[in-house]
Amino acid sequence: MTATKATATPAASKDAASKGIDPRGPRFGAAITAVLLIVVIALGLLGGNPATLAERLVQPSFLLFAVISLVFAWGAFAGIQRHPYGVLFRNLVRPRLKPPVELEDPTPPTFAQGVGFVITAVGIVLYLVGVPYAIVVAAAAAFVAAFLNSVFAYCLGCQIYLLLARAGVLGRKRPAAA
Amino acid sequence: MTRNARLSTFKIMDAATVAIALAGLVLAATLLGVLHRATQGRARTIPARWNTDARIVSIEGVALGARATLLQFSTEVCTPCKSTARVLDDLAARTESVTHVDLDVTHRPDLASRYRVLQTPTTLILDSYGAVRARIGGAVRRDIVVAELQKVLAA
Repeated sequence: MTATKATATPAASKDAASKGIDPRGPRFGAAITAVLLIVVIALGLLGGNPATLAERLVQPSFLLFAVISLVFAWGAFAGIQRHPYGVLFRNLVRPRLKPPVELEDPTPPTFAQGVGFVITAVGIVLYLVGVPYAIVVAAAAAFVAAFLNSVFAYCLGCQIYLLLARAGVLGRKRPAAA
Repeated sequence: MTRNARLSTFKIMDAATVAIALAGLVLAATLLGVLHRATQGRARTIPARWNTDARIVSIEGVALGARATLLQFSTEVCTPCKSTARVLDDLAARTESVTHVDLDVTHRPDLASRYRVLQTPTTLILDSYGAVRARIGGAVRRDIVVAELQKVLAA
């Protein structure tokens, strides 16, 4: 999963040079995601742990969480510019705001969507194999990241990317002398 | 069926308990955010007398400024790195013999380890000898960088 993202990065940054995005867009999207994740956690706690796979597949918390995960995948693989909440932001919110002070490179928020997708996908897999409260735990982790991103502009993706780079999972395409 | 019965005792969580759990989660996330924000952009000054040869920064292919260097560690997925680069670039352009160097650690993980970069951006302020005189984690604040730079340039 990380490998595909690593190879996808240079293409995305080529795009970035030509067109920046409004930095408020991803934070607006993160706020919607955070609210939806709160709903998932509430539904998950109220719904308990269904015993069979068939029951798990129709749990409301699972269904909503799966949609959130798909939206993350969309943002990660189609790029943040094509993100559905981004479209909502551009059409409904942006016209009511002052123009942005500066535009932002779309690479960081696109990577962040990938991080969100991985966290939610892990939660879904563990839930489907029967780990109790896997969705609640994954949703809580994703909520903290989305909330911090939205309210405090904190960038969890930056932190994870750095750790992966330090571990040698990413990068090393160009040698020395930057 | 006994397993189901056992699980169902687990599953009774009333709305009030859920509301308390959610409020706790939001509160914890807010505290984390406030704590994190408080650490961002803070400078740790390193007195010149603490500097030994081991603290002198020398990176192949990187030319240091004659009086000071603003050495920034970044990655391409990092939004605050871009705003930090703009501030440091501007300061270097306005201050004679001060250079801004922006290193992408994606391609140099060895540097991230050598200079113990735990977050991006991390900014080191180096004096004319290349000794580390200040370390700033997170997005920089212009006034703090200026104050640290003044200390280095005054010496």
